[in-house]
Amino acid sequence: MKLFFGVNVAGRKNLTSINQYIIIANHNSHLDILLLFYILPIKQILTTQPVAAEEYFSKWKVLFKLVNYLFSPIWIVRDREVGDPLKGMREALSSGHSIIIFPEGTRGIPGQIKRFKTGVGRLAIEYRNIPIIPVFLSGTERSFPKKSTIPMPIWNHVTIGPPQIFKGESQDITSSLEKMIRELSESETAKRHKRYKRPKPATAFAVYGIDGSGKSTLSRIVAKKLSDAFRVCLVSDNLEFYENKNQKELQPFVTEKIREALGRYAKTAKSLKQYKIPKMAELLLRDHIMGEVQRWYTPDIIVQDGCPLINLAAWAKLYKEEYLDTEVCAKAIRILTGKREAIRKDDPIFKKFPELAVLRRFKLDHMRLPDAVIFLDVAPAVSIQRIQSRSEQRQVHETEEKLAKLREGYLLVTQVVEKEFNIPTRILDGESEIDEVTASAIEFVKGSSPREPEYE
Amino acid sequence: MFQMFSDISKVLVILIFLALSLFLLFTKIFKIRFPYKSYINYLWTFFLIFAASEATSFGIAIWILAVLCFMALREYFTLVDIRLQDRWGILGAYLSIPFMIIFIQFDYYGMFIISIPVYAFLGIPFLVTLGGKEIKGTLLSIGIIDLGLFLLVYCIGHIGYLALFSTWWAIMLILNVAICDLIAILMRKRKNHRWSNVLTLYFVSAPITIILTLALSYWTAIPWFHSVFLGILIPVLVSIGRHTIRYIEKDLGISRNQLLPGKGQVIDNLRSFLYAAPVIFHYLRFFSMRSDTF
Repeated sequence: MKLFFGVNVAGRKNLTSINQYIIIANHNSHLDILLLFYILPIKQILTTQPVAAEEYFSKWKVLFKLVNYLFSPIWIVRDREVGDPLKGMREALSSGHSIIIFPEGTRGIPGQIKRFKTGVGRLAIEYRNIPIIPVFLSGTERSFPKKSTIPMPIWNHVTIGPPQIFKGESQDITSSLEKMIRELSESETAKRHKRYKRPKPATAFAVYGIDGSGKSTLSRIVAKKLSDAFRVCLVSDNLEFYENKNQKELQPFVTEKIREALGRYAKTAKSLKQYKIPKMAELLLRDHIMGEVQRWYTPDIIVQDGCPLINLAAWAKLYKEEYLDTEVCAKAIRILTGKREAIRKDDPIFKKFPELAVLRRFKLDHMRLPDAVIFLDVAPAVSIQRIQSRSEQRQVHETEEKLAKLREGYLLVTQVVEKEFNIPTRILDGESEIDEVTASAIEFVKGSSPREPEYE
Repeated sequence: MFQMFSDISKVLVILIFLALSLFLLFTKIFKIRFPYKSYINYLWTFFLIFAASEATSFGIAIWILAVLCFMALREYFTLVDIRLQDRWGILGAYLSIPFMIIFIQFDYYGMFIISIPVYAFLGIPFLVTLGGKEIKGTLLSIGIIDLGLFLLVYCIGHIGYLALFSTWWAIMLILNVAICDLIAILMRKRKNHRWSNVLTLYFVSAPITIILTLALSYWTAIPWFHSVFLGILIPVLVSIGRHTIRYIEKDLGISRNQLLPGKGQVIDNLRSFLYAAPVIFHYLRFFSMRSDTF
């Protein structure tokens, strides 16, 4: 072990003066058991038995016999229905033997300590006079990790903690032991070179609704409010960045300028047909900007004023109402997000909506679904009133009839993303007081767990 | 006469090795702790190689050097943050050690000099790609593995080839580097790593290394002007090596206060050779091939 892998042992004196003990250790690799036998005093080797899973080793007869011959393990079956798994351990301890237990139960994710199973706590209560020695093993998860075939020479470090005698309940003992192992891991884990970690993608919240629903106002307020704890980017008609409730200057993107120009052009369209292409291009660019924002500003949260993907899906109601139902909508979203494994090329949806085929053909089918969505629901009549009060030129779709259809489309999409894509959704009444709507939106956003900036 | 000179030089190498062994044994038996133990350990390792070369055969000595390269590389791979899927690349790096050592043993210079920089460096990226499907981080992994292999196997391998030419050339290099290291250790109390410190270290070391190289020229048979130049050059290379590897050590989390095996001890002890060994090797090889005075 020492020549090939290299082993550093800290705290060996904790092991030498005791005749009977229960060793508990974290489990990452098959090497763990060899490493534990390596640290044992010679006189203890024959009287120490590890606990091993029979159903795992019995898959290979030669390995089973070899392990049996070398270590004389206490075989257990990790299935409660088979019988008492502690029986063999009790027998060994009663006959004066020491045992080695991996309370995690199995080799987990390399380098991570799993929750301990309570068996060790139960044994500690039954055999209060036998000390438990916590041992932390590091390095084996790299030298011979799970699923690898060739062990690699990499140093292993063994930290032996002081022997423990416990009082109290088995649950408490188990959690104390787990805590001890975690503490040992903190103290002894070798400092290693760490790669630059990419920040996890920002959590994206979309606020959408028909024109005049107040989604722009609400999304801006939400972005500002969230900025006291997070770095927030608002993707609206303009790109805005908030930190500590202050708006920060941003370097403009070229794509953002193009998107703005396209957006202005779309608003001047005289018919829905004329409106369609520039609006679709604008939405695709808006989605692309999401990626650029993540790349250049690495925000924690992105608040979207309207969601390009949901807008595209909902607007189908306006153009091809007859085809749009829940199933078609879910399929369209799958195609647009690139999750089209189960959708054949000759699927009828591509005939009904040739736009989807075009987007797929030009590889524009990788749009982003937000992590949570808020639909701001307003009666079309109310939204028309609000649009009129802006004293701006009305867009081609800003009629009560078309907005009603659009509202239906949004409701349908909201239903689909919630049921088919498990995305948290909230429908808010856009006719309520702004403070009330804001409070509900903030509550929903915080409840949808906007995480602390994490790294992967 | 020549035979007698050769025998005396052999006996001298073995005597130095025995003296170092006795000293280390003494400290072990009486459990004497002193701060420069690892420093004496690595001197002992090199003299073990030279004594093995003189007393038995160069073939045995060079494989002891291979073990040293293996230990250094193992420590490096323990410290770096490598992905699980880079294991094939690491295996390739380990296998490069015997691949290079064989060429030294059989004095096949042409292949030794390209074994790692050409074949291993082409092979390892391929092996890394075989390990898994994750693409991100591949470049970094290849860079990490190749750099470790280059510094800790290829550069150290030059000491072996130097010993093949002449054991005393290698001893001259080792002792000069050891002197520079010793002075650096003694001057370590100066805080902050500054260029003025590096220069002071150089100007203190250079006169000693010049005298040492000249004194050893009786055994090395290096002409006096080359000896003086080597005495000037070696501390420069040691300073550059120490300065550069210091950055890598810091990045690897090697703390000089906690130098344990597996946590930077081997790399720290070898760092002064990493620049000096290849340059001095090529210097001596170049002039010895073109000059009759060597």
